[in-house]
Amino acid sequence: MANIRLENVSKRFGRVTALQSVNLEIHHGEFFCVLGPPGAGKTTLLRLIVGLEKPDEGTIYIDGDPVNDVHPRDRDIAMIFQNLALYPDKTVFDNIAFPLRERKMAAEEIRARVAQVARMLHIEHLLERKPGKLSGGERQRVAIARALVRTPRAYLMDEPLANLDALLRLEMRIELKRLQEQLNETLVYVTSDQVEAMSMADRIAVLYKGVVQQCDTPDNVYNLPANRRVATIVGSPPMNFLTCQVQRMDGQLHLVHSGFGFQVVGSDHPLWDCLCRALPAVREVLVGVRPEDIRLYPERPTEVIAFPARVAVSEPLGAETIVDVQLGRDIIKVITPPTQYFAEKQEVWVAFDMAKVHVMDAQTGERIYTTGAPEQLQCILPGTCA
Amino acid sequence: MTRRPTWQIVLRYALVLIVVGLFTFPTYWMVTMAFKPKVEWSTAHGTIYWVPQNPTLENFETVLTEYRGKFFRANQSSALPSIRSSIIVSIGGTLFALLIGTLAAYGLSRFSVDTGDLPWYIALGRLALLILVLLPFMVLWAWLGIIRYWYGILSFTLLGIGADQLIGRLLALYYRGPTGSLAFSILQLRMFPPMAIVIPVMIMWSAFKLIDTWYGLVAVYGVVTFPFVVWLMKSFFDEIPRELDEAAIVDGASNWGAFFKVVLPLAKGGLASTALFVFILNWSDFLIALLLTTRDWPTIPVFLNSLVSSEIGAQHGPKAALGLLAVIPPVVFGILIQRYLVRGLTFGAIKR
Amino acid sequence: MASVRLENLRKEFGSVVAVKELNLHFPDKKFAAILGPSGCGKTTTMNMIAGLETPTRGSIYFDDRRMNDVPPGKRDVGFVFQNYAIFTHMTVAENIGFGLKIRGVDEATIRREVGQIAELLELTDMLNVNAGRLSVNDMQKVALGRSMIVKPRIFLLDEPFSNLDAAFRAYMRGELKRIQREIGQTMIYVTHDQVEAMSMADNIAVMDFGVLQQFGTPDEIYNQPVNLFVANFIGSPNMNFIPCYFRSEDGKGYLVQKRGNARILLDDRRRQLLEQHPGNQDLIWGARPEHLTLHSEPSRSEYLRATVRFLEPLGPKTVVHLELGDQDTIKVIAHPSYREKAGTVQWIEINPKYLHVFDAKTGFAIR
Repeated sequence: MANIRLENVSKRFGRVTALQSVNLEIHHGEFFCVLGPPGAGKTTLLRLIVGLEKPDEGTIYIDGDPVNDVHPRDRDIAMIFQNLALYPDKTVFDNIAFPLRERKMAAEEIRARVAQVARMLHIEHLLERKPGKLSGGERQRVAIARALVRTPRAYLMDEPLANLDALLRLEMRIELKRLQEQLNETLVYVTSDQVEAMSMADRIAVLYKGVVQQCDTPDNVYNLPANRRVATIVGSPPMNFLTCQVQRMDGQLHLVHSGFGFQVVGSDHPLWDCLCRALPAVREVLVGVRPEDIRLYPERPTEVIAFPARVAVSEPLGAETIVDVQLGRDIIKVITPPTQYFAEKQEVWVAFDMAKVHVMDAQTGERIYTTGAPEQLQCILPGTCA
Repeated sequence: MTRRPTWQIVLRYALVLIVVGLFTFPTYWMVTMAFKPKVEWSTAHGTIYWVPQNPTLENFETVLTEYRGKFFRANQSSALPSIRSSIIVSIGGTLFALLIGTLAAYGLSRFSVDTGDLPWYIALGRLALLILVLLPFMVLWAWLGIIRYWYGILSFTLLGIGADQLIGRLLALYYRGPTGSLAFSILQLRMFPPMAIVIPVMIMWSAFKLIDTWYGLVAVYGVVTFPFVVWLMKSFFDEIPRELDEAAIVDGASNWGAFFKVVLPLAKGGLASTALFVFILNWSDFLIALLLTTRDWPTIPVFLNSLVSSEIGAQHGPKAALGLLAVIPPVVFGILIQRYLVRGLTFGAIKR
Repeated sequence: MASVRLENLRKEFGSVVAVKELNLHFPDKKFAAILGPSGCGKTTTMNMIAGLETPTRGSIYFDDRRMNDVPPGKRDVGFVFQNYAIFTHMTVAENIGFGLKIRGVDEATIRREVGQIAELLELTDMLNVNAGRLSVNDMQKVALGRSMIVKPRIFLLDEPFSNLDAAFRAYMRGELKRIQREIGQTMIYVTHDQVEAMSMADNIAVMDFGVLQQFGTPDEIYNQPVNLFVANFIGSPNMNFIPCYFRSEDGKGYLVQKRGNARILLDDRRRQLLEQHPGNQDLIWGARPEHLTLHSEPSRSEYLRATVRFLEPLGPKTVVHLELGDQDTIKVIAHPSYREKAGTVQWIEINPKYLHVFDAKTGFAIR
């Protein structure tokens, strides 16, 4: 078990900055996911922790000891590479035994431990084969076995499931999660798949362009994204963003879009404060709503305030249907149940779940506020103001 | 599909036969000549024997035993020492080149050092070395009368190295990878004619008393083939995913351990084919051995050359016999390592 | 524009059969998808349509014309691949207009057409940018535009989005579908991603091991899978499969779990169907996780008892993994706020409308 801490870590490759002042603390026994699009610096982060790269600035601590100058072999951390890096000329047994042999363990004990790990991962029958003769899932297990066999202080995994097909990925995801619960070891898992991160992690660090955007529990990352980037990376389809004008009239504060409008209720409201302080410099904010927090009505509903819109295209996924709706000048994505059918060009009414509306700074993308209850923002029809 | 007219088919096979004949006839001639008695291989009386009439091993005997006064000069020895010499220097040179070349290639393949202007400095350094070290030697010796025509030798050397620099640098500028220029700069070492370096080397070797020693020849062979080894092995190492050595290091191996236990076994095939290639280069070298050996260590090609002289005439039969013997080692070597000459050994390391 | 018809199409590579007697009809002006895992023969099929591979047997028709012997250059087929091949030394406008330029179309027309395409793809602002400086996402758009401008009869796309990041992929899905609707171009889209196929295509051909498994609308493929493969391949998380056998008691038909005693009461139609089915002792019932509901009390007798093993919170929903009987696991989609502990007993309600029954031996659905 290990506690890994990164303090102000930066890494550059030539003129390209891969990581910029990263501060992270990964706790004992935690399933920690690093999530980000390709090129965000995720792999570099792992390579720094395991010691294959040296940080240009900052310090990496493992269990409180700075390890910047410690050779990877002495850090006692196992890593599973994205391409698995199995030794192709060695049998599965020799692959798994390699780390133990490097530690000069007795042959008897090596045999016992390899057998134990192989049983745990259900690969006993493959021990004499070479990696080239294995299926994708089997290779995956061998790579995990090679990491497990030496009971390291922490495990690092670099998109280990990225190259598997969808069903196998689902299966391995469940297995990995079970394994981690069993081992109760520190596990740093890098992925670009938000579903993997959300479903497995205790905490997620969202990385974008070498900067940690947010580091929090999956719940918080999903429901309270720190900024526009996080809201785009987490959630599929991503959150809808609608640029709204901030308008102040007759003591009222309005957020006005070409397709809808909100009124900020109560001048004692934090959002009111925040927007007023920024006015008149800030004239625009982004209103973010997740596709599942929007409802479509074929007729104008009476119970909620809804805005007129038009269906552009609908994408049936089976369990749900994503409907692209033209609202004002923007196209938003809405998740609807498969039982509801919307034709192309059909007129519909759009209603937001007012308890889940995010307001973000249009320039920086930082989240200013997230509504918790419907009263804080009220819908108004565009045109009724200004 | 329409059938081609018959004359086209005939023409095609005729062409194929002619080409095959062009390539196989010299071999055929050498093999048969090795078994012909003197009356048949000698052209003196104007008859050409296409097939040996009275096959004999006389030529092998001639070339392998020590003769005094029959065909050769009194002090002429048999070809056996030259065969021994060829084997020792070829294998030695190959091992030497493989040892330093493989390590250099691994470094170039794995550690992407930003070489910057290093290749230029190497080029300049070589020029400086030439001017500062070789030139005074040559001037001195020319003045002492040790070498004649020093002006010719000097200008030839300078021309060779100058052309190498020019072509090499231009190519390196065009072909610029992260380590490309440094690796290329090494390959460039082989871009000038061997003639251009062998004379300065001969001068240096005679100063160091390395002429006509097996280690002197091994050193030159090693250095001359080193660029090929680097270039070939680098491309083999480049094919082995870097993650494999990294995985080994993370698994607890040292940097050397990762190289010897993981990377090198995977490059076996590459190593074998490189070894064969370099061995053949060394085995068939004539020029360097001619200039750097005299009495004790002439190699087979040099010895072959001595079988034609004004004193003994052209000994075609013994020459063919020795030539046939000289073909054997590379062929045997090739067969021995054949099973390693298979590529795609890295299959299975990487998911695709 | 043209329709594409494949008749008994077969392709062998040596002793490997890549595509086996394929019969398909992709209608004109529609968006079709060929879906399957890697190695199922989908790319080979597409290459045969494009003319890059010659079929071993069978015919390819565009409308009514047999295309087998027409060279690829003359088939009037447009392509977009996973690795966008764009000319990095040209501007976006030059890239898009390239196809027209080499056909000798005059400058004014090219400019007008490029303008239209750029508008469709929302690339208008970038027309004069050097294509080499675009982001990966925009490069793929340019590649799309370049193939679209020549208005090919058939437009083939081979996993064009697999190099793009997830958010942009979701956006492009909607865009491509909208563009296809607007210009009415016949498109054939090859993918291994069921979400892409389901969301965009009018018709989906599901393939496995070179054999066509099912051809139908996304709705048919999803709700009426013909066999275990299709049922398993479509949908994420995938369908639950529970091995079971048929039993008749007191005139009622049940599906009884093999590794446990969970019983599902069948309606009359299903009961009669299964009674006559010869392999009715070796069945598998299937139900999608979203068609199952969890209850904390057994308020109705047909609920199945299961124990929570662990949860996968996904944001908009939570996947609950439960143990049914001895060894069967079953996944249920629950509300994102669902937070029951492992070991809790839950009762699963199955909507009989969404229950699938398969023959375990043949894999075929029994309907």
